[in-house]
Parts: sequence; C-alpha cells; structure tokens
Amino acid sequence: MEDNDDLDFVASEHDRLVSAITKLDKTQHITEPTRNESTNQNSEFNLIKRSSKLQLDNVVKVLEDTARNVQIGKKLKKSQEATVLPKPLEKPQAERIKRATGYEQTKVKIGRWDPVVARNRTVDVVSFPIKRFPGKVQQTSDFLSKLELKSPLEKELEEIDPPPESTEVEDEEQIYPMSYEEMLEHRQNAAKFRAQQSYKAAKAKRQSKIKSKKYHRILKKERLKQQLKEFEELQSKNPEEALKKLEELEKARALERHTLRHKNTGKWAKSKLVRAKYDKEVRQQLAEQLSVSRSLTFKTQDTQSTDDEADETENIPDLNLAQDPKNPWMMKSSDKSNVDAEFDFGYKKYLKDKMYKRKEMDSDSDQEILEETKNKKADSSLAILKDSVKKLYDMNVPTDKLNEEAKSDENLDKKIVAITSAAEKSKYKTRSTKKVSIKTISTSDWVVEEYVASKSINDRKVSEDISTVFDKFENNLVGKVEKKLKKLRKQISNIDKQSKETHDKEQNEINDEQDNLDYFKFKNQNPKPQIDEALLETHKDVASIKENEQSLLNNILSTIEAPTQENVNVDIDPNRFIEAKPKYLNTAMSKGENGLDDLDDEEEQVVPKVDIEEVFEEDDVVDSFRQEKEDEINNDTPKDIDLTLPGWGSWGGKGVKAPKRKRNRFIGKPAPKMPRRDKNKGDIIINEFQNPKLAAHKVSDLPFPFTSIKDYEASIRTPLGNTFIPETAHKKLIQPSVITKVGTVIEPMDEDELLVKKNRNFKNTSVLKLLAKQ
Amino acid sequence: MKGKKMVRYFDTESDNKDQDKDQNVKVFKIKSTAKILKAQKYKKQQYNNVQTKKIETEKKAEQYPGKAPINPEKLEQHTRGEGIGKGVRHPLYALKLKKRENKFKYAEEQAARADILLTEDQGFLEVDEDNRTTAITQKVIADNVDITAATKIFELDLAFGPYQAKYSRNGRHLLLGSKKGHLAGFDWVTKKLHFEINVMESIHDISWLHVETMIAAAQKEWLYIYDNTGIELHCVKRMDKILKMEFLPYHFLLAAVNEYGFMSWLDISIGEIVGHYNNHMGRTPVMTQNPFNATLCLGNSKGVVSLWSPTVKKPLAKILCHKTPLTAIAVDNRGMYMATSGVDRSLKIWDIRNLDGPLQHYKLRSAPVDLEFSQKDMLAVGLGEVVEIYSNCCTQTSESPYLRHRMAKSINNFKFCPYEDVLGIGTSKGFSSIIVPGSGEPNFDALESNPFQTKKQRKEAEVKALLEKIPAELITLNPFDVMEVDVPSMKDKMEAKKNLLYLRQQKVDFTPRHKKKGKTNIARKKIMKETARKEFVNQAIEAKKILADSEKQNIPKQSFGVLDRFVPKPK
Repeated sequence: MEDNDDLDFVASEHDRLVSAITKLDKTQHITEPTRNESTNQNSEFNLIKRSSKLQLDNVVKVLEDTARNVQIGKKLKKSQEATVLPKPLEKPQAERIKRATGYEQTKVKIGRWDPVVARNRTVDVVSFPIKRFPGKVQQTSDFLSKLELKSPLEKELEEIDPPPESTEVEDEEQIYPMSYEEMLEHRQNAAKFRAQQSYKAAKAKRQSKIKSKKYHRILKKERLKQQLKEFEELQSKNPEEALKKLEELEKARALERHTLRHKNTGKWAKSKLVRAKYDKEVRQQLAEQLSVSRSLTFKTQDTQSTDDEADETENIPDLNLAQDPKNPWMMKSSDKSNVDAEFDFGYKKYLKDKMYKRKEMDSDSDQEILEETKNKKADSSLAILKDSVKKLYDMNVPTDKLNEEAKSDENLDKKIVAITSAAEKSKYKTRSTKKVSIKTISTSDWVVEEYVASKSINDRKVSEDISTVFDKFENNLVGKVEKKLKKLRKQISNIDKQSKETHDKEQNEINDEQDNLDYFKFKNQNPKPQIDEALLETHKDVASIKENEQSLLNNILSTIEAPTQENVNVDIDPNRFIEAKPKYLNTAMSKGENGLDDLDDEEEQVVPKVDIEEVFEEDDVVDSFRQEKEDEINNDTPKDIDLTLPGWGSWGGKGVKAPKRKRNRFIGKPAPKMPRRDKNKGDIIINEFQNPKLAAHKVSDLPFPFTSIKDYEASIRTPLGNTFIPETAHKKLIQPSVITKVGTVIEPMDEDELLVKKNRNFKNTSVLKLLAKQ
Repeated sequence: MKGKKMVRYFDTESDNKDQDKDQNVKVFKIKSTAKILKAQKYKKQQYNNVQTKKIETEKKAEQYPGKAPINPEKLEQHTRGEGIGKGVRHPLYALKLKKRENKFKYAEEQAARADILLTEDQGFLEVDEDNRTTAITQKVIADNVDITAATKIFELDLAFGPYQAKYSRNGRHLLLGSKKGHLAGFDWVTKKLHFEINVMESIHDISWLHVETMIAAAQKEWLYIYDNTGIELHCVKRMDKILKMEFLPYHFLLAAVNEYGFMSWLDISIGEIVGHYNNHMGRTPVMTQNPFNATLCLGNSKGVVSLWSPTVKKPLAKILCHKTPLTAIAVDNRGMYMATSGVDRSLKIWDIRNLDGPLQHYKLRSAPVDLEFSQKDMLAVGLGEVVEIYSNCCTQTSESPYLRHRMAKSINNFKFCPYEDVLGIGTSKGFSSIIVPGSGEPNFDALESNPFQTKKQRKEAEVKALLEKIPAELITLNPFDVMEVDVPSMKDKMEAKKNLLYLRQQKVDFTPRHKKKGKTNIARKKIMKETARKEFVNQAIEAKKILADSEKQNIPKQSFGVLDRFVPKPK
C-alpha cells in the first residue's frame, strides 16, 4: 500500500515536474489520450487538449494547507457547489399567469374602444355603414361658377337699403383705465374690504345665533340707553334733530307694538300655558305679560284734550274702545274674570260643552211631541238671543232707544220687528243730511264726536250686529232643524207606512219654518270676508265713487263681525271670494214686452222691482240636490270594519251594542280617504270612481329605468304626432335609433374609428365606467 | 368704435334716450333662476337689436348671432310642464332620457317659433267714445265691408216652420232642417245647393257627420242618415225619438238623447252603439258637448247640468246651476267656460274645467232661447227675436252687449260659423246669416279642418281621422287621464308580487306628476289666509281713514276771533 502511495506521489511529482518543464517552452503538446473520465470534449482523433482553465478545486486544495486560509477555502468551496435550478411551475399555474398578463394587455387594447362603444350606445341614431366616404370632390371650375356677381335688382336694393356691415373683429389697442400697479392696489383694497365685510357678517351671525335671552335683553337695553343718551345730547344741541330722533324712537316702539311680542305666543308662554290650568300664579304671570303687551300696544292718548274731558273718559267707557268687545287692546285693564275666560279650555271647556250638550240631548230626546220640542227650541233660541242682545247692549250703541227696546222686549217676534225697524230707521237717518242726524242723536260732547267720527260705521254696525244676532240664532235653528230632519228621516225609514201621513205633516211644518228662515236671506254657512269689490263700474262722477266707497265700507264692516263670531275654522277658499253678484244687463226686450227702444241711452242698471222669476223657483230643488250630495258623500265614505262577535253570556242579534272594550278592539277604522273634489265647491257633485274601461288603457307598471311615477309621466308628457308638435320636432322624435342603408355591405368597425374626433371626445365617465364593467 | 355708424332707414332712435334710461334705474335684488336669466337674455337681445351703439365685448357675438331669440311668454304658452327629474340613476338611461328631454324642449321651442306663422288677426268693431257698438247694425257693416264679406250677410225665406241650422266642422257647408221636414244642405259661401228634400216627417235635430257627404237627421221616429245628394243611407232604429244630437268628431260618435231620457252614442265608423242607458233626468232637449273632453252636458228641468260619458252610467258630475228649468247651455271651444240660462231669466257662466262657479251671474230681461260660444269666446244670446252677442263676458262682467241684431221672426237656434265672423240663425221663417266681427278664429290649421278643402284632401283627411280615432272609453272629465299611471291597480300588482318568494320588492315613488285637487298645501293656504287678512286690515284702516277725513272737514273749528293766530297748528 505504501508502495502504491509512493508511486502515486512520485507520479504526481513527476507530472508536475513535466508540466513545469513544458510550460517553459511555448509549443503546445498534444498528449496521448489516456483512459479517463468521460468528457464532452471528444475529439475525432482522440486527442484532448487540456484546458488551461484554473481549476478552483486545486486552488482550494492549496488553501487547505494553511490554517489561515481554511475559511476562505470553505467559502470558495461553497460557492463552487453546483446551484440547482428551481423547479418549473405547475402547468395550470403557469397558464394562469400567462392569462393574467394577456388579460392586462388585451384590456388596454380593447379599452381603446370604450368611448366608441359608449358613444354608439348613447347616440340618438346610428346609421350603418358607419364609414362614410366624402362625396364627389368639387372641381375648381364648378366652384368658381357659383361665385356670381350680384344681379341688377340686388344692386338696386342694396343702394336703397345697404346691408349691415359686418362689424370688425380686429382688436384695437385698448386703453386701460388703470395701470398695472394701480389695479393691484385696487384689488388689494377690495380684498381687504371684502374680508372685513365677511368678518363682520360672521360676527353678526354668531351674535344673532346666541339664544340667551339675557344677553339680548342687555344688548337691547344698552342700545336704548345709547339712543336716549344721544337724544339728550341732541336735545341740548339741536332740538330739530332731537325731534327727529324722538320720532324714530316712537317708530321703534310702534314697530314693537306691531309685532307679536309679549303676546303669550312664545316658547316661554306656551310652556307656562300648560301649567296655567292648575297654577294660579302662573296664570297671573301670563296675565302680566299680556298686560305688558297691552301697555305697549295701547294707543297714546291725545295730549291736547282738556282735563275735564279726561275726567269724563275715566268715568264713561270709551265708545271707541267699546266698539269691539273682544278686542283686548281696547280694555282698560285685565280683570280676573277676563283672565279666567282666557284659560277657558281643557277640562273646563270640556265640562261646559258637556253641560251644553246635555241640554241639547234633553231637548232632542223627547221627540214624540213635536210642539214641546218646538217650545224648547224657542227657549234656547231666546236665551241665545238674549245673550246676543246683551252683547249689543255692552257695546254701548248710542241709539239708546234701540237698546231699550231690545232689552225690554222679551217677545221674540216683536223684538225682531223692533230691532230691524230701528236699524232701518237709523239707516234712513244717515241717508238724510248729516247735520240733522248729529243733532237728533247726540247726547253729550264726546258721544257726538265719536258718533261723527264713526257714525256710519256705527249705524252699519248696529244693523250688522242685529243681523248677525239673527244669523246666529237662525244658524242654530237651521242646524237643529236639519238634525231633527235627519233623525226623523231615519225613524221614518224604520217605521211602517202608517206614519207617513204624520211625517208629511211634520215636513210641512218644517218647510214652513224654513220658509220663514229664508226670509232672513241666510246663505253661507260660515260667512267669509268678501273683500274684493266689483271692478266693473264705469261711473265717473264723484258721487258714484263715494257710493262705491260706502259700499266697500259696508262690505268690510259687514265682514268685520264674521271673524269675531267664529274666529276658528275660517277656511279661506280663493274660489269662494269670487262670489258672483247678479249683474242686471240691459238686454233687448222682445216685442211682446216692450216696444220702446231706449235701452242704449240708459246708463244705470235696471233692477226689476219684483223678481218674477222667483215664482218659477222650486224651493226643494236646492234641498234635494244637497241631500243628494250628502247621500253621495255618505255612500263614498268608507265604513268602519266591525269584527265584534257576541261572546259568552252576552246578547246577540240586531240592535245590540257591543261593550266598549270590544268596540275599541274589534271595530277598525278604515284608511282615511282623500278628500272629495267637490268638498268645498257648493252645489256641485263630482262622482269619484274608477272607470274600469278607462283603466284598461292606462299604464299600471313602471317600465325599467324609472323608479318614480312622476318621472315616468314626465317622460310621456309630450305627444309625438305631427298634429300636435311641429313637423321638425316630430321627425326628430320618431327617428329610428338604428338606420341601415339598403344594399350595402356593413363592414365591422376598423381601427380608424378610434381616431374619429367625436369618438375620442366622448367623456361621460359614468357611462364609460358602466360599459367597461360589462 | 372704429367703424362708422350705419344709418338704416328704420333707425329713428336718438341717443339721449339711452342716457335717460341710465339715470332712472331702480335696483332690485332678485335671485337669479334659469328662467329669469333666459328672459333677461331675450330682453337683452331685443334691446340690442334697436341699440345703435355696440359694446366692444359683444362684437364677436354679433358676428354670428345664431338663431333668433324666442319670446319667453310664447315659450310659456307652449310649455308641456315639468320635465324628468333625477330619479333615473342608471347612467346610460339617464343620458338617453336627457337627450329625449332636449328633444321635447326643441319641440316646445319650435312650436313657439311657429307662432310667427299665425299671420291673420282677429277682427273687431271700433267706435267713437260716445257711440256704442250695439248701434252698428248689419246694414252698416254690409255698407262698410268689401263685397265678398258683404255677401255673408244674407237671409233665406223658407216656408216650413222653425228651422235649425248647423255648420260643418270646417265652416264651409250649412245644413238646414225644419220642424216640418224640410232638409237642405248647401255650400253657404258659394250658395251652391247640394240637395233639398222633404222627409215628410218632423225633424227634431240635424247634424253633419265627420265629412260633409253625410248627414244625420233625427226624425219623428228614428234616426236617418243621408248622403249629400239626399239619398237615405241608413235608418237607425235603435235610436228613436231623438230630441237632440251632437257629433263628437274625434271619437266618431253620434251622441243623442231621446224623449224618454235614454242617451245613446253611436260609433258611426263601425255602426255600433257604444253606450246606451237612461239618464233618469227626465225629458230634456237641452244638451251640448264639451269640445275639450267630449263629455255631454245635459241640462234638465230642475236646473241641474249633468256631464255624461258613454261608458259610465252615472253622471260624471252634476252642477246645480239654476233653481228653475234650464233653457240653454253652451260650452266654449277650449272647454273652459260653460254658459247656462234658465227660465229665471238669468245667465250664469261656470268654470267647467275646474267644475266651479258661477264666475258670472247676469240677469236678463227675458229668458234666453239659445246660447252659443264662438271660437273666440263671444257669447251669443238669443232672446225671442233678438240676438245679442257679448264679447269677453266670462272673465269680466260685461256691461252691455257687443252687438245686437233684431229680427222680425223668432229664433229657433243659431251657430257661429267656424273660421268665419258669421253667425247663422235658424228662425221660424227661414235662415239668416249675420256678420259678427271678431267672432271666428282667423288662422285655420289646414290639417285639422280646412275650409278650402278639395275632394282629395277630404278623402285623405277622412282616412287620417279614422286612423287617429279615439276610443269611446277615453271620454272622461280629464282628457289627460290616459297619460297618468293607474296607481291603484299598480299597487295591487305590487302587492301580489310581494307574496312571491325570492323576488325583490321594487321601490316606487308614488307621488303623481299632477297633484290631485282637494289636497291643498297647508303652507300655501296659510299664506293665502295671511294675505287676505292683511289686505282686509289695510282696507279697513283706509276705510276708517276716509270716514274720519270726511268727518273732520265738517267739524267747525272753534273760533277765538283775532287770537286764532296763536292756536297751535296741527302737524
């Protein structure tokens, strides 16, 4: 073994030596091949040229020897180790990646078409083939032949009326009003100004948002003080200016008077109001507040009046103030009863109502004897009348006579006659000369003055009041009669025919009553102020104008009472204002009636003395029509849904009322219906029903893009036919969305389409996004 | 300005006017809306047209002025209402709808522009201040108009009792039918007679059908249809004892009411009766059609006017017009006003579109025999032997008639001739035609009804009209009902769908485009109340002032003689 080793060693030593020697000369020696490891370099001739490449192994071997270089050697060896290629990806994964990249590329490629597609989708009309070649190119000679000189006629025309020269577009050198620096400065100033303005606005806004009442109160006080100070200063310096200032202050006060401050409408007052029912103190607080408002809004007395007069005014209730008894501003002071009256609501009111109702119920309950009820009615009406007459008396109407009469007389009929006659009398008096009327009616100085000041008002008012009293009275009567009628009708429908005769009698009686009522000409159930005056009058004399005014005043004054009487539920329907008054026309007479032909000369309206036409009128026409309307409404209103069933131990059958508990639980209220179209229209019945035959023609589905009926109906609002809209618009609206030219090949779009300007300009991002999503 | 000022022959304005304008300028703060801006633009352009000075900045705009501006008022007239909102969220459809909306707008604008083409103007009578138009008799008119117009005043003396007259829809042909059976049709302009027969029965009413070659005559027993040579085409025995007839041209319906109160609608294009029922209103010969919605207005002896459609067997609406029997009804062409008259010698004008009124109430000296509205809303009132024509009596209360015509024979009926200023009166002794200046529509639409129609045009129009025939079911109070979605049945459908599984509920906004009547805005109501109250208060204050003033003057001042000068003067 040692020999072998030695041999090896010797051999290697020998080799080395040989190689060293061979290195010395430059010639290349080709060694004879020996059997060796397989190589890829097989020469044809079995000759191998030894590569001169540095074998790292050998280097490492060298390095191994020295302990110093062991590390390096190791490193080198490591690096020398053959690196293994990573395993190739699985096929599906590889393909997925391929597809992803491919998608990205194609996306970009196809994305170029998005605007083209989007435009074609949204455009009104697409006509195929899309590619349009420009028509024949015009030849120069053709083009030139069209440029002709003007005809002689045109020339002549131009001489007469030269065509407007087209205004020149070329810009002159403009002279600027400011230099650049000036402009900058100006702008800066403006910006500063604006900024300050905005600061101030912001500050004002912030201050106005402050809700603290205290703050505002203090602010206001300060302001007032300031003003007062200024006023005092001015007084010493410039009295005229001071006067002006005073006026301003007065005005401010008036403004406050005008507003609704201290009127218990604010938040505080409302919160107090809730408690006021139970707490007396709160009530007083509120009353104080009200009194503040009254004091604010109280008109300043005339300072010129003498002392004597002042005394008088203290003693005697002012007529002016008494004009309107419900006007709290005209009261001297608010007394306790008044306060109580103000809070007459809630349980108190309920109680009162109940009491009142019981009375009514009583009167209604005994229906058997008609006369008795009549008496009662009369009683109640009398009471009402008394009330109203008392009110009248409270008003201190100067016509004492009238009052006395009204008060003393208890008999109803007599009263009516008396009051009406008195009213008429007073009316006549006003028509006579003014002086006389003053003399006859005046009692004392102030009365005279007041009377003179508002003489006609008062007169009218008296009559108005009386009439309203009667209206009221009659209103009640009418209501009761109607109620009764209804009840009677119901009864009669139940009772056999036997009672028909008696019913007729009753009806007759009732009719009689109504006839009587008609005498009062009560028409509107709830009178509304009729403010508008007739526009038509053509009279131009002063007298007529005055008359007009009077009538206007009359009109207004007559309506003044209406709101005070029933200040709630004043529903203003604009249609109701247009109450047509009959206009008497001077129509031609037919031959039989009048042979004269003086119609054209007459200026004034001819009002016939007797309305013969009323003879033809049938009274029951209106009533029956109203009844019909009522029936119609009753039929139309949805009925309660009754699900009650008699339970254990309870009575069943017709006419049995379910207990309250059951009623609450099992009787369902139907859904409220829309108010009828003819609700406020008077004597008009409009039938409201679904016409099934019409419904067949109507749309009952919303087509796709629409989500609201409003939009859909708007989209079909314009007719398309050429009989409704102009021909051009019609053509536009009925244009088909796709037009294909007959007999041409329709090629698919090529990439030239991408370059078309209108396609490139399509910029509606929402549509693009939508279409790109698909 | 570089270019010299052009002088055009119509430039008469001087420059100092412009200066005045600048001085008296009031400044109002107005929130600019699209509408205001548009109107402003229009005004500006109008102003610029007359302006001689041109502002530098507007030079470029001047060079290409573009289309002429449209008068915003005209545009308002032709508007079709509010457009589509932003309810549609789908971008593609939203865009498409927007484009469609633009087309609608274009249609409106074109319609407004086309108003220029209505070149003819309405006629009128003009008199001095101290004269009246009623003083102008037909003789005066005939003397002052041209010969062709004067030929329109004529009179026919016919022997067979009271005559009824009706014009064809284009106003060219006239049909006369007498109580004693005389039936004649002729071209009243050329006076060329088409036919003249005696049916040997009483004729109660007559009517042209859709063309002037066919005539319906309600005779003693049955309804007969003749052609324009007098040959009997049909005898409709299902319609008997007719009192009054109306032809509804767009529905091709011949509506009639008979003695027993039966109403019937005969579709003359297919020869079927589409509606036949009793109205239970009693015997009444007072009937007219509302041209706006093709409903029939029937007035009865109780003073009630009821509106009827063929498919509904109850009246669509009822109005108590008078307390006495009605004598005549007329509805104007646009379906806005209805005039009724009763035995009580009163004449009332109603707002038939909103079913409200009366707008006007006139008292006459005798009960009118007949009423008739012209195309321009003049109202003819027949009073025995006199016809009075009122112009503008619906919106205003008229003082006196516009025209009055007396005859020596009693009036049976009268009709205004369409597209002519002519009133044809059927009287007891024949027919007379008078001129009423300004009564007819001056501009006619030849595609709608053409007075100068040729035979070929007539045939063409007949076919077109048949194609555009409106079904009888669409006769309702509101003719635009079809344009609305049937909400109740839609709700039913949705309710049914709700029960299906796995179906997402469609969210629908049910607010209708047009608010239903009766549902008033409370805020608006409040505002109205407030304004009414304020106005009233103001008036009351003024009234008091007037009273106080008049009284003040009468108070004798206390006299101190010489010392009067020291009495403080009132401020």
